[in-house]
Amino acid sequence: MAVHDECKLKFVELKAKRNYRFIIFKIEDQEVVVEKLGSPDETYEDFTESLPANECRYAVYDFDFITDENCQKSKIFFIAWSPDTSKVRSKMVYASSKDRFKRELDGIQVELQATDPSEMSLDIIKGRAL
Amino acid sequence: MYGGDEVSAIVIDLGSHTCKAGYAGEDAPKAVFPSVVGAIDQMDFDETAITEKNSGSAVDSKNIVKTLDSDKAKGKRKLFVGSQSLGFRRDHMDVLSPLKDGVIADWEIADCIWDHAFRECLLVDPREHPMLLAEPSSNTPQQRERTAELMFEKYKVPALFLAKNAVLTSFASGRATALVVDSGGGSTTVAPVHDGYVLQKAVASSPIGGEFLTDCLLKSLESKGMMIKPRYAFKRKETRPGEYQTVDLDFPNTTESYKLYSQRVIASDIKECVCRAPDTPYDESSYSNIPMTPYELPDGQTIEIGADRFKIPDVLFNPSLAQTIPGMENFAEIAPSVRGLPQMVIESINKCDVDIRRELFSSILLAGGTASMQQLKERLEKDLLEESPQAARVKVLASGNATERRFSVWIGGSILASLGSFQQMWFSKSEYEEHGASYIQRKCP
Repeated sequence: MAVHDECKLKFVELKAKRNYRFIIFKIEDQEVVVEKLGSPDETYEDFTESLPANECRYAVYDFDFITDENCQKSKIFFIAWSPDTSKVRSKMVYASSKDRFKRELDGIQVELQATDPSEMSLDIIKGRAL
Repeated sequence: MYGGDEVSAIVIDLGSHTCKAGYAGEDAPKAVFPSVVGAIDQMDFDETAITEKNSGSAVDSKNIVKTLDSDKAKGKRKLFVGSQSLGFRRDHMDVLSPLKDGVIADWEIADCIWDHAFRECLLVDPREHPMLLAEPSSNTPQQRERTAELMFEKYKVPALFLAKNAVLTSFASGRATALVVDSGGGSTTVAPVHDGYVLQKAVASSPIGGEFLTDCLLKSLESKGMMIKPRYAFKRKETRPGEYQTVDLDFPNTTESYKLYSQRVIASDIKECVCRAPDTPYDESSYSNIPMTPYELPDGQTIEIGADRFKIPDVLFNPSLAQTIPGMENFAEIAPSVRGLPQMVIESINKCDVDIRRELFSSILLAGGTASMQQLKERLEKDLLEESPQAARVKVLASGNATERRFSVWIGGSILASLGSFQQMWFSKSEYEEHGASYIQRKCP
């Protein structure tokens, strides 16, 4: 499984320059490529709606939150999205390549796997961030 | 390194109940047949035939057992594989399984089953196809080396890979981290998988699987006076349109194990048709009034099944229930070590690192033939919710598709072996020749 250079470049931009709110990746012809970039003012709903209901994706989301001590913080989430309704084959490809792909993205703080929207609701994201 | 993507690989999952074989890249196995064989002792066959004539069938069955033991030493027996040749009753044919506690104990039979899969079901030459075999999590290093030896030396396969059942199931569902609850024919195994590797220390297993439930059902029906007549023991004729006459046939030379095998075939169908996991733990009084469900046996008699519909599946959750079934008393010997499904799950998770427990609780995967039992998923989720720590989010996942549940291991193997990125992982013949069989431990973790 190859990883397109753009994936790494965009991820670094998200991490260092905070140019994007989220990035969605997909596997195409045995290669991970960037599918969609979200601008910093997009919300979490915009992000979840960008994930297709019947296909697997990888996604990175930059989550801003305020801690109990009133401190502005952010964490970078890696989400492996594989809905039950997607093809077994694509679930398998995404699951078996996840580890390899994640290693390319240096700086992920929280990892999440989700098979339906309830597993990556905002509450769960908040719970994992704190 | 083996770099062959051109020829499709063969995927075989030799389970305790059925053997699944097919080509990588397809979505269901091509061949599914029982992983038991019929064995007839060749050497002493004539001799037993004579003693049998003199002393009748009671002595006969004992005789078979004895000759079989000696037979193992000599290695001279005729084996019948496949559902067709097993469906045909033969005198003195015993039914034997190559597996004991999920791992291969009798290599001759296992070899025979593989041979059958290659040459009679798939019609392929094993020398031309790389081979992916699914193995139980409890496979020992010796077992794996022996498998590699057999595959490379006898079948001369160009490349081999051994993948753990639980890993294949978790990949097939799109999760690299999951707690796989594999309830198969001969046993139930709970294995945590983290990032594609099985956490060996936390694997839990119990001998309660589909076959055990089938036996419970069989005994329970027998105790109520409902005898299941094996298919070979009668003949059915249509005397007039819509009217049948059943004639009993008697074959004194049939072995006990074959009779049991044929009865189990029927009982397991009854189980699949009528059984359903109860929503709450089974108790005799509240289920005494439930409506009966009719089932027509192959010989035409209709039986009515009541509380057993719920009692049998509940054995999975509460194994001590089996002791209340007449005829299953021998279970008492193993009973203390056997735990119910929810306890096994919780124990297994508690043996894992604290950091991943939460994730395991939220991705419990149900797989295997017995997992297709109605309401099993809902019941397991409910029981786990009650017993798990407050903070944990319990989620039991199972594929909605019955075929996917039943063949999840095979499907996982099928896809893995057809992935382009997997091709460099094969343990090739040249590597085997250079490093020997023990290299399998490094190639296939």
